[in-house]
Amino acid sequence: MGEKTDVWQGTLALMALRTLESMGPLHGYGLARRIEQISGDRLQLNYGTLYPALLKLEQEGFIRSSWGLSDNNRRAKYYELTRAGEHQVKKAAAEWEQTTAILARFLTSAEEA
Amino acid sequence: MRKLRAFWIRLLGLIGTRRNDDDFAAELESHVALHTDDGIRAGLSPEEARRQALICLGGAEQTRQAYRERRGLPWLESLFRDFGYALRTLGKHRGATAAAILSIGLGIGANATIFSMVSRFLLRPAPMGDPTTLLALQTTHEGDECCNNFSFPVYTDIRDQATSFSGVAAYFEMIPASIGGSGEPERVFGQAVTSNFFQVTELPMVLGRGFVNGEESAPEVVLGAGLWQRRFNADREIAGKTVTISGHTFTVIGVVTPAFHSVEQILGTEFWVPLGSVAQLAPILPSQGSREDHWLAVVGRLKPGVTRAQAAAELNTLAQRFAVANPKTDQGNRFSFDQAGTMPPHERSGIVLFLGALMVVVLLVLAIAGANVANLLFAQAASRQRDMAVRLALGATRAGLQRQMLTESLLLGLGGGVLGVVLSLWATRTLSALHLPIPVPVDLRIDLDWRVLLFAFALSAFSGLLVGVAPSWAAARPKLANALKGEDALAHPGRRISLRNFLVVAQVAMSVVLLSITGLFLRSMQSAANIDIGFRSKGLLMMSVDPRVHGYDAPRTIAFLTQLQQRVAALPGVLSAVTTDNAPLSNTTRSDDFHVTGVADKDKQNINTELFMVTPGYFETMGIPSISGRDFGGETATGPKTAVVNRAFAERVFSGSNPIGQHVADGGTTYEIIGVVGNVKARSLGEETRPILYRSLQQSVANDPSFLGYTLVVHTSGNPAAIAQAVRGQIHALDPAMAIYNEETMEEHVRAAYFLPHLAATLFGAFGFIGLVLAAVGLYGVMSYAVSRRTREIGIRMAMGAQPGTVERLILSQGLMLTLIAVILGWPAAWMVSRLASSFLYGIQPHDVITFSIVPAFLTAVALVACWIPARRAASIDPMRALRTE
Repeated sequence: MGEKTDVWQGTLALMALRTLESMGPLHGYGLARRIEQISGDRLQLNYGTLYPALLKLEQEGFIRSSWGLSDNNRRAKYYELTRAGEHQVKKAAAEWEQTTAILARFLTSAEEA
Repeated sequence: MRKLRAFWIRLLGLIGTRRNDDDFAAELESHVALHTDDGIRAGLSPEEARRQALICLGGAEQTRQAYRERRGLPWLESLFRDFGYALRTLGKHRGATAAAILSIGLGIGANATIFSMVSRFLLRPAPMGDPTTLLALQTTHEGDECCNNFSFPVYTDIRDQATSFSGVAAYFEMIPASIGGSGEPERVFGQAVTSNFFQVTELPMVLGRGFVNGEESAPEVVLGAGLWQRRFNADREIAGKTVTISGHTFTVIGVVTPAFHSVEQILGTEFWVPLGSVAQLAPILPSQGSREDHWLAVVGRLKPGVTRAQAAAELNTLAQRFAVANPKTDQGNRFSFDQAGTMPPHERSGIVLFLGALMVVVLLVLAIAGANVANLLFAQAASRQRDMAVRLALGATRAGLQRQMLTESLLLGLGGGVLGVVLSLWATRTLSALHLPIPVPVDLRIDLDWRVLLFAFALSAFSGLLVGVAPSWAAARPKLANALKGEDALAHPGRRISLRNFLVVAQVAMSVVLLSITGLFLRSMQSAANIDIGFRSKGLLMMSVDPRVHGYDAPRTIAFLTQLQQRVAALPGVLSAVTTDNAPLSNTTRSDDFHVTGVADKDKQNINTELFMVTPGYFETMGIPSISGRDFGGETATGPKTAVVNRAFAERVFSGSNPIGQHVADGGTTYEIIGVVGNVKARSLGEETRPILYRSLQQSVANDPSFLGYTLVVHTSGNPAAIAQAVRGQIHALDPAMAIYNEETMEEHVRAAYFLPHLAATLFGAFGFIGLVLAAVGLYGVMSYAVSRRTREIGIRMAMGAQPGTVERLILSQGLMLTLIAVILGWPAAWMVSRLASSFLYGIQPHDVITFSIVPAFLTAVALVACWIPARRAASIDPMRALRTE
C-alpha cells in the first residue's frame, strides 16, 4: 500500500469540489471516503479538517448543504455543488494543472542537468 | 467578492451561535455513526468501530473549535466579549463609573463647544460650488497692513483681463432696506451683485434661478431662504411675483439655499439685487467711474487646472500694468486673495487668537478631567489586583488583561463623549442665542456639525485610551506572589514618587494655570462693570427708523424726525425725545480726521475723531454733562455749521486753550465749536477715550446721510419699555409703512455692549470652576487612597503613642507638599499663558497682581479642605482595629 501522504495545504477544497462534481451530492463522511478511495488510499485524510473546509466553501457560495437520509437510513447532511461551484472547479483545476505543469518542467530539467 | 460574501456570512454567524453549534454536533454525530456502521460491516465490534471512527475524526473538541473559528470571526467575538465584560465591570462600580463619565463628559463637552466655534468660523466652507477654487480678492496698498475693496473700474479691468479666472464677480456688501410682504414692513439687509455673481459662486437655489448676463439693472431680486420663509410663508410659486423693497418694485426670480447668508459667512444679508439697480436702494453711492472709491467686494472662480500661485502671479502682473496705465490712482496697489468663505483677513487674527486661547483652556479642563479618571482607574486597579493575579495564574495573558482594561477605559471615554455632546448641544444653543451689540445683522449661530461630532468622538476615544494606558499596564502586572496572598501587589517598595502623585501634581498645576486665566477674566469683567460710559443707561428707550429707504429726501426726513420728536415728547411720562444717527456703544460710528483751520500746513495736526449727529437736547437727554459753551438750537440746514465736541477732543486739539468759537475742519466741511461736553465711550467699552465731534442732525442729513438710519432716543420718567407701544404708534401715525428696527432700552443696549467681557468671563468662569472641582476631587481621591493604604502603618504609629493631631498633620503635610510643588510648577506657566489673554482684558494688566496672588492662595485653601477630610479619617483610626485588618 506504500506510504500515506498528508493532504497539502489548499488542495483539500479542490478535491472536495471535484469529487462533488463527479459524484453528485454526498455527506461529509462519504465525501471523505471518496477522496481517500480516489487517491488509491494514498492520502491520509484527517476527517476533522474536512468540515471547516466545507464550511468555508459554503460561505463562499460554492456548495450548499441540506439534511437528508443516507442509504442505511441515517440522517446526514448532504453537500452539493452550486453553479458558482461548477465554475470554480474548472477555474481551480486549470490553475492547478498549470502549477503542476510548471513544477514538472523544473523537476524534469533538473533531472536532465 | 467571494471573500466579502464569506466575511458577511461569518459576521452573521456571530448571531444564532447556539443553533449552529447544535447543527454541527448533529453532523459530527452522523459522521461517527456512518463510520461506525462501516467498521461493523468490516467485522469490528461496535465499541472498537466507534473508537476507530473517533480516532479518524482527530478529536471531536478540536474539530468543533476549528469549525467554530471558521464559522464566526474570532477576533470580533473576543472584542465583543471584552466589551461585554467591560460593561459588566463598569456596571458593578456604578459610583466610580459615573464619576469618570461625568469628568470626561465635562471635558469633552467644553472641547466640543469650543470646537464647534472653530468649525463654524474657521473650517466650514461656504456652500458655493467647489470652495477651493473660489477666491475672495482684495486690493492692498503699499505700506498698509491689510486690504481694501475694489473700485468699479479696477474690478472691470480684472474681470476683462485676468485669464486665470473663469469668472470674476463683484458685489456691494450691505444695503439696508425695508421690505414689504405679510405684516408690518421689516428692515433687512441685502447685497447688490454683478449679473455673473450666481454663475461665479455656483450657489445652489431652493427654487428659481440667479441673475444672468443682460440683467445688470433688471428690477429683479433673489431672496434668502430665511426671508422667504419668514415673510412669504415659503411660497413655492413665488418666482415671478413682485415684492416691494424700500418702496421699489422688484420681481422675485429665485430663492437661494438656506445655508447661504453672505460670501464671508458672517453678515446675515437676505436679498440680492443686480448692481445696476443699487442706486435706487443705497444712499449716496461712490461714483462708478472713480478708481479711488473702494466699495465693491470681489470673488473670482479659478479656471480648472489653474493654480493659486499662477493666479497670484497674474494678478501681480496686472497690478503693475494698471499702475503704469493709471499712475495717479493705482501706484503701489497690489492684489491678494483668500479662499472665499473664510473669515476676512483683518478679523481672522483676533478670532484665531480668541479661539486658540479657549481651545487651550478647554484642553486643560480635559487634561485635568483625564488625570482624575486615570487616578480613579489606578485605585480600581489596586482593588482588582487579586482578581488579576488569579486570572494570570489560570493562564490569561498580560496583553489580554491589559486589552480588557483598555476596553473599559475606552468605554468610559466614549460614554463621556456622549455626555459631552449632549452638554455641548445645550451650550451651543445658549451661545447661539446671544445678541451681538452691533446694528447690522450677523449670522453667528453655531451648531454641532459632522466635524464637531467627529472631533468629539476621536477626542473621547483618544482620552479614554490615554487615561487607561498606565493603570492597565500596572494592573496587568501585579506581583503574583503578593497578590495571591492578598497583600499589596502594585506597591513598589522604595519608590517614593508614584505615578498617582505625579498625576495629581500635574492636575493641580494645570488648575493653577486655568484658574489664573479665569481669575483674569473675572477681574476684567469686574473692571468693565466699573467703566464710566459717560451717559445714563436708565430711563431711555431707543427705536430706529430709516426714512431714506422709504423714499424720503433730506428735507422730508428732517420734517419727519422733527414731527416725530414733538409727538413723542407730548406722550405722558416722556421727559424728552431726541434723535441721533447712531447710539454710542454700537461698535460702528463714522470717523474722520479733523484739524484746526487757519493753521499753517506744517503745524497741521490731524486728529481722528468720532462723528455723531444729534438734535438739540441730546446731551441733557443722554445725561452727558455740559462743560462749557452751549447746546445746539436754532441751526438751519443751510446756515454755518456748528459742532459740540467732547472734553477729549478739546484737550487733544486745543491742549487747554478755550475751544469755543474756534473752527475745525475735516476734508471739506468747517465747523464752529459752540460747546464742550463730557466724554463717553463711543464705539465699545474697551476703547481708550476718543475725541468726539457732535454735529447738528439738521445740517448733516442732506450732504452726509446716515447709512444706518436714525435712532429716536426717548427719556421717560418710568419704565422705558412700557412706552414702546405708544412710540411705535406715533411712528406709524406719521407713516404706516415705516419699518422700525433696533428697538431696545438703553439698559439692554449697554448690557449688550458688555457682551465680550461677559462672554469671556462666563466661558472662562465655567471652565475654571469645572477645573477646580475636578482638581479638588482628584486631590481628595489620592489622599483618601493614601490613607486607606496606610491604615495599618497609622495604626502602628498610634499604638506606639502617636497623637491623632500628629497623624492628621502627617497626612495634611503630605497633601500640602503635593499642592505646593504643583503651585510652584503651575504659577510661572500661568504667568506666561496670561499674555495670550491680554488683548481681551478690560482695564487690567495680564500680570494682574491680585489674580496672581489670590489664585495660589485660594487653590491651596481648596487643597487643604480636600486633604483635611482624609486626614481626619486617618486621625480617627482605631489602632486595635487597624492592626487586626489584614
